[in-house]
Amino acid sequence: MDLENQKRVLNISEEHGAENVVILLGAAEAEASGLAAETVTAGDPTFAGPLTGVQLGLTVYHICEDEVKSEVDPSVYEEQVGMMEMVMDVDSIHEEMENIRKEYCKYLG
Amino acid sequence: MNNFPVIKGSSYVLAFTPDMIMHSGTTQTTEKVVNPDSEYLRELPKHYRTYEEVVSYIPNQVYIGNATYDDLGNTPFPFYDKKWENAKSDGAFGSIVDEEEFYGTMHISDVFELVLFEPEFAKRVKEKLEKRKFFTEAQLEKLIADKSTASREELERLVNEEHAEGLYINLTELVGVIKRAHDVDVNLSAHVMLENLVAKASNVIALIELVKKNNIKPEDIDYVIDCCEEACGDMNQRGGGNFAKASAETAGYTNATGSDIRGFCAGPAHAMIHAASLVHSGTFKNVVVSGGGCTAKLGMNGKDHVKKGLPVLEDCVASFAILVSENDGIHPVIRTDIVGSHKIGTGSAPQMVITALVGEPLTRAGLKFTDIDKYAPELQNPDITKPAGAGDVPEANYKMIAALAVMKKEIERSQIADFVKKHGMTGWAPTQGHIPSGVPYLGHLIKECLDKKTKRAMIVGKGSLFLGRLTNLFDGVSFIVEANEGSGSVEHDIESSNETVFKAKGTSTKGINVAYALEGSEHGSQEARLALKIAASKGIDTVLCDGADAHSQMEKLLGSGEAQAAVTMHYPFPIGVSTVGKVITPAKGKPMYIANTTGTSDTDRVAALVKNAIAGIIAAKADGVERPTVGIANIDGARACAKILRTLKDNGYDIEFADSARADGGVEMRGNDLLMGSCDVMVMDALTGNLMMKLFSSYTTGGQYESVGYGYGPGIGEGYDKLIMIVSRASGAPVVAGAVEYAANLIANDWKAIAKAEYAAAHKAGLDALLSEISSAKKADVEEEAEVVAPPKEVCTEAIAGIEVMDLEDAVKTLWKAGVYAESGMGCTGPIIQIAPARLEQSMDILRKAGYIE
Repeated sequence: MDLENQKRVLNISEEHGAENVVILLGAAEAEASGLAAETVTAGDPTFAGPLTGVQLGLTVYHICEDEVKSEVDPSVYEEQVGMMEMVMDVDSIHEEMENIRKEYCKYLG
Repeated sequence: MNNFPVIKGSSYVLAFTPDMIMHSGTTQTTEKVVNPDSEYLRELPKHYRTYEEVVSYIPNQVYIGNATYDDLGNTPFPFYDKKWENAKSDGAFGSIVDEEEFYGTMHISDVFELVLFEPEFAKRVKEKLEKRKFFTEAQLEKLIADKSTASREELERLVNEEHAEGLYINLTELVGVIKRAHDVDVNLSAHVMLENLVAKASNVIALIELVKKNNIKPEDIDYVIDCCEEACGDMNQRGGGNFAKASAETAGYTNATGSDIRGFCAGPAHAMIHAASLVHSGTFKNVVVSGGGCTAKLGMNGKDHVKKGLPVLEDCVASFAILVSENDGIHPVIRTDIVGSHKIGTGSAPQMVITALVGEPLTRAGLKFTDIDKYAPELQNPDITKPAGAGDVPEANYKMIAALAVMKKEIERSQIADFVKKHGMTGWAPTQGHIPSGVPYLGHLIKECLDKKTKRAMIVGKGSLFLGRLTNLFDGVSFIVEANEGSGSVEHDIESSNETVFKAKGTSTKGINVAYALEGSEHGSQEARLALKIAASKGIDTVLCDGADAHSQMEKLLGSGEAQAAVTMHYPFPIGVSTVGKVITPAKGKPMYIANTTGTSDTDRVAALVKNAIAGIIAAKADGVERPTVGIANIDGARACAKILRTLKDNGYDIEFADSARADGGVEMRGNDLLMGSCDVMVMDALTGNLMMKLFSSYTTGGQYESVGYGYGPGIGEGYDKLIMIVSRASGAPVVAGAVEYAANLIANDWKAIAKAEYAAAHKAGLDALLSEISSAKKADVEEEAEVVAPPKEVCTEAIAGIEVMDLEDAVKTLWKAGVYAESGMGCTGPIIQIAPARLEQSMDILRKAGYIE
């Protein structure tokens, strides 16, 4: 994850409390989504950014997962994400995200 | 028939620079700061490729045009362990140079004495570059000049004590340096100067290859647009520019100006649209878009490549150049009316981006997604990006375009994979930012359009503006390129350009055969064929020489005697040879010979007029006019010329003088006489004659198309026995056919014998003595003024302003006389004298005393 974005995530978590923050991802494939999710939960795996060694355990979803998609107005979703959903491997993204959430997420009931 | 601009040529260049990976690639320079003892830095050099490996790497062979992207697509992934059979460093579009050749090009590109080479290294580089034939002898000599070289000890001192950047080979061997250009200004630091000289030098090679590979004359280029991602300027104007003009200077584009356009990776696509619009509007005829490469991105993904045991694949600086010209009826056109753009209000979601760049312009033009044969978005080589976790960039783009086509209900969802395969390409471009952005396809596209394999393509450039931290907006533009509808049957000519491709057979039994070298005509191949058909209808056989080597084909035909004359658009006549044109005068449709129209018969004006008169008489007689009448256009030198011609006549050279149709008569012809054709041979200087030719040939069409007459005529001079007829690039089929007919007449009437007899008669009448009188009179005039010689050249970085422009050259001479080297120039606010910083005060004093400045 971009170092600048890591810094923003860290600041927002400190300001609002990690339990109140949800990270929404839009990466195009599973590996990149997994890396970003890992960064905001278990810490920066590349040991380069401000989240290195910081286990925020934030709640994290990808935009194409049903949990989020069902919250979005279908016409807006179609306009903004419809095309990319066709290109993305939604199932493997979901699987990757599930794994990360199960292992590192601290705020899911 | 539209009049869209065409993409006339392209060039692509790679410079293999392994040592710059470690010393200049930002991944490595950052690592050296953050983690100087890292495992990665130790491992990295073991992963460097050799020059031979880089040349035989298939994506690189596709880049320089020796292989196609389909060849690459048919290669099993990954590519780094495969080789292209018959790989060459010289390709159809450009070349792959090695590190030493590239350092040499940086040295030649440097005009501020910032680059120094170790002397032995300099010699070796010079020898290597001589073989490439990129540079002039003077440019190559600069490499080994005393002030261009320094001992190894001095180079080391400059690196260690003076903040110079080292140039290395074989990992640690210091062979040169780039000095800082200012002690304090970070924008002129050695580091920045190195980056900028790399961008310039790689651009220079691309510009040179563009003219070489496409048989273009560098002086025909009017404007150059640079679209790389670097910035040059001092601390007061950090991105002042101008890479374009600086590079074009080194490449010898003497008639060009230029400027830089920036847009991150979208830069090239923006620049292409600018170029197309400049040409389409008629502002410039030939505009080049080019971009040099970048050291910062060398080894950008090196960590991943090393970790996965691959060679470091980002080991080349890349560059390209594209020529956009007026519609020639042959080359693919840029549809300036179908341009896509990412607007400020578009948003950054991929769907919005692809809609703005691809969907919207297609809808506006009434085209379907499938009407575009090939899409060229970012064309990064997946061999580089996949191991680094960035996936297959072109493929991802093709999938998005296909998905949008599904949403627009133009294809079925199940057809996405087929769409990607059919309308996509396997990426081959190096990851040098702006370089892979659509434009690498243009070289292949030109060929595919000429071969009728591809009808329509879309080039998409996209850029990430957030990197500059001024906006979070995304950016991109797109344009459509189509095969030229005017190409018709021309395609065959281009394909077999090494062969004589078109012969028009006349019915004559005279056995006269005229070669026509089609090189740079503004009216295209089809017009040429029409011309030769007209000539054939008059009974004259012709051969069309077309393609890149038209002139050498022509010379071959003349040499073998297969053709007795040639018609061409330009020819390097020696001094003493000049051409006699033939026009139809409008008043009564009477033919008239214009003596002369191109070339230089003598460097003295009056002597030239006299010789032109003789050449005109020769041409007219050889064309069948038994006793041509001679008139002299009423221009500077006319009276002196008339006097000599009269003396020749008195001495026995039989000249028939014409009489002006105006009331007062006389041998001096007025403008009215030109229109009326009052004489057979109208004598004038070649510059005026050239002007007249163009007026007489194109006044009926409004100027662009020369429709009447016989062209600029044969080169005539004493002892010259080749029959070369000149036409212009604006000459239409009737004029070219006229030139062929004019040549046939000259051959049929044995023009060589006539020329010999006329010159003999003129000499007998005392021509030599009369001409030498002119030159001795002139010599006496000029001996008075002693020549002021410039002192040894110095690097001039200071400017003195405030001198009247009319006095500028005299002021420079005044400084030279005082032993101070100075150059005149144009600054932003007016004329300036440029001077070395150490000489500033002294020079101001001298100029003040001489009254040039206050």
